[in-house]
Amino acid sequence: MNFDFGVIADNGRFLGYGVGITVVLSLVSGLTSLVLGLVVALARLYGPRGLRSLIVLYVDSMRAIPVLVVLVWTFFALPIVAGVTMSPFAAALIGLTVHLAAYAAEIVRAGIESVRPGQTRAALALGMSRAQILRRIVLPQAIVRMLPAFGSLLSVTIKDTAIASVIAVPELMRQSETVAGQSFQPIEVFTFAMLLYFLMLYPVTRGVDRVYRRVAHLGRS
Amino acid sequence: MTERTKAGGSTIIRYLDVVKRYGAFTALRGVSLDVHAGEVVCLIGPSGSGKSTLLRCTNGLETIDGGDIEFEGTRLARDDRGLRAMRQRMGMVFQNFELFPHLTALQNVAEGPRTVLRMPLDEAERRALAMLDKVGLADKAPNYPSALSGGQQQRVAIARALAMQPDVMLFDEPTSALDPETIGEVLNVMKALAEEGMTMVVVTHEMTFARRVGDWIAVFDAGRIVEQGPPRQIFDAPTTERTRDFLGHLGWTG
Amino acid sequence: MTLDWSVVWQHRDALAQGTATTFLLTVATMAIAVPCGIVVAVLRLYGWSPLRSLATAYVELFRNLPLILVVYWAFYVLPILTGLGLSPLATGLAALSLNVTAYNAETFRAGINSIRRGQVEAAMALGMTRLQALRRVVVPQALRRVLPVLASTWVSLFKDTSLVSVIAVTELAYVSMQIRAQTFRVLEMLTAMAALYWLLGYPQAKIVDWIQRRWSVTE
Repeated sequence: MNFDFGVIADNGRFLGYGVGITVVLSLVSGLTSLVLGLVVALARLYGPRGLRSLIVLYVDSMRAIPVLVVLVWTFFALPIVAGVTMSPFAAALIGLTVHLAAYAAEIVRAGIESVRPGQTRAALALGMSRAQILRRIVLPQAIVRMLPAFGSLLSVTIKDTAIASVIAVPELMRQSETVAGQSFQPIEVFTFAMLLYFLMLYPVTRGVDRVYRRVAHLGRS
Repeated sequence: MTERTKAGGSTIIRYLDVVKRYGAFTALRGVSLDVHAGEVVCLIGPSGSGKSTLLRCTNGLETIDGGDIEFEGTRLARDDRGLRAMRQRMGMVFQNFELFPHLTALQNVAEGPRTVLRMPLDEAERRALAMLDKVGLADKAPNYPSALSGGQQQRVAIARALAMQPDVMLFDEPTSALDPETIGEVLNVMKALAEEGMTMVVVTHEMTFARRVGDWIAVFDAGRIVEQGPPRQIFDAPTTERTRDFLGHLGWTG
Repeated sequence: MTLDWSVVWQHRDALAQGTATTFLLTVATMAIAVPCGIVVAVLRLYGWSPLRSLATAYVELFRNLPLILVVYWAFYVLPILTGLGLSPLATGLAALSLNVTAYNAETFRAGINSIRRGQVEAAMALGMTRLQALRRVVVPQALRRVLPVLASTWVSLFKDTSLVSVIAVTELAYVSMQIRAQTFRVLEMLTAMAALYWLLGYPQAKIVDWIQRRWSVTE
């Protein structure tokens, strides 16, 4: 068994580009899914009844359909239906956002519902309006409680970007595949890719743990 | 002998035959009671007799099913805005303190003036500090609730309600969730408030407090007031069987 | 644009086969990953130091890697490491098992840890050995806490089987995309694939909800 890790050095920039795309795709889709998830959760909690059932359908559907299927459909089928052309990156961004927002919405909903009703009563007793209560009392506490779950959702997001390789998004997984295929050294290349992913993911989980431990008391009522 | 020492003052709250139902269960079966300016009215009675329910109906946290509640001469508002306006003139203190955990003691007390009265931040915080000082906790201003004892948290909660400068303070079993050692510090704050002339409605199991600080006692049982009168009557010479039973169960020997 | 949905019906046998493989992979992976997860969890909690570190390293590693990468890596590395020529199916199963075992280990560890010390102390005060306490007091309670999480892991696993399509395992995703390639019926086949996963996955998700409601622990 002969391992030659020089192939990594030779393709450093190519692989580095992949890392860049992974990071960008993770952060952007993380952000968009967070925003969409927040909107969906608030609509579910405070919106009209008809909307609520639709939202439940959406959330439960995303629990049933694999990310791979969502991404492939978005890239290949959506253009046919909508008559648009989109780049692999755009398709991945849309697919990931729609898929992850369902999970984000559940996290937001659970966070808000976990704030004690006594807090709302105390705020009402002071004469606050419902909107003020949500903004100043419930959401701040809910956000603290949501942190661990969002941490693991970020971790999932980064891992899911690797699936975008299937629709040829030039993120790290895809770049690694290309280099592995061209160099016939899949073991070295994929092992290196594993190292890179680990270095990206491990701090996320540990970091969130740390932050949460420090601020947990702000959410405990 | 039912002289009412402070009946001369204006009527702050008037309960007229208040009825409250939860599904098949009737929590309040026609409760009538007056609260005059400067009075400390204590609501006592067994658990589940409706005392806390009446308090929660007073500031609209619960809606009544029958009868009327008048606050400062006007019927309790039913619309959101009217209710909020009335709530600003009533202060409520909860059994579980319900301090906002993500805010410091100072921020908790300043929250009402800031958000509801729309006071500028520095003015709100100045008032908050003064209120904290009033309850003896000015030095705890920068602390989060998680760093305070139960008694301290409840005193901050009282300061938070006082910061709105209410016309009446509603206390819902303020010491029931406290360790015996800290009950005293909260009752002392309440006593001082009473001596300053604050109108108070207090749901409590602390009979000594009710006897010494209360001006008027209402004894509840199964959703009704079975007896009401000055402390001397209720505690020394109760006129009804129910009252005698209740006090007897508590081991009240006067 | 004319749509021809009959393609789906024409290839129903292949799709049924793919679905069966998906289920097979899910069941087989869980059958491996549950006992292995328990072993790793116990090693992490009670094993002696080097074993404990090894178990922890294993769990941390596989929880911080994308599964699709593990699948590729297994495909290229396992034949060399083990000297065996493994079929794509076996390779996929190995990759899935490695991944899910790590998650299960974490689940079991948290479940066992969530049982208050006082329980074990009470059991031992009665005269039980540590092992008896574990078996009769801790594990039964831990199982209740662990079941909802395992159910949730099952549903995730069911979806993750789609990833082994990249090494040509003939599960549902691979079969669907093959048919798409052969018939050029892109929209029909991809939508059918999504619909099939939805039909299979939605009830499973609902069952998980039910399990979580029924067995949720409130202290």
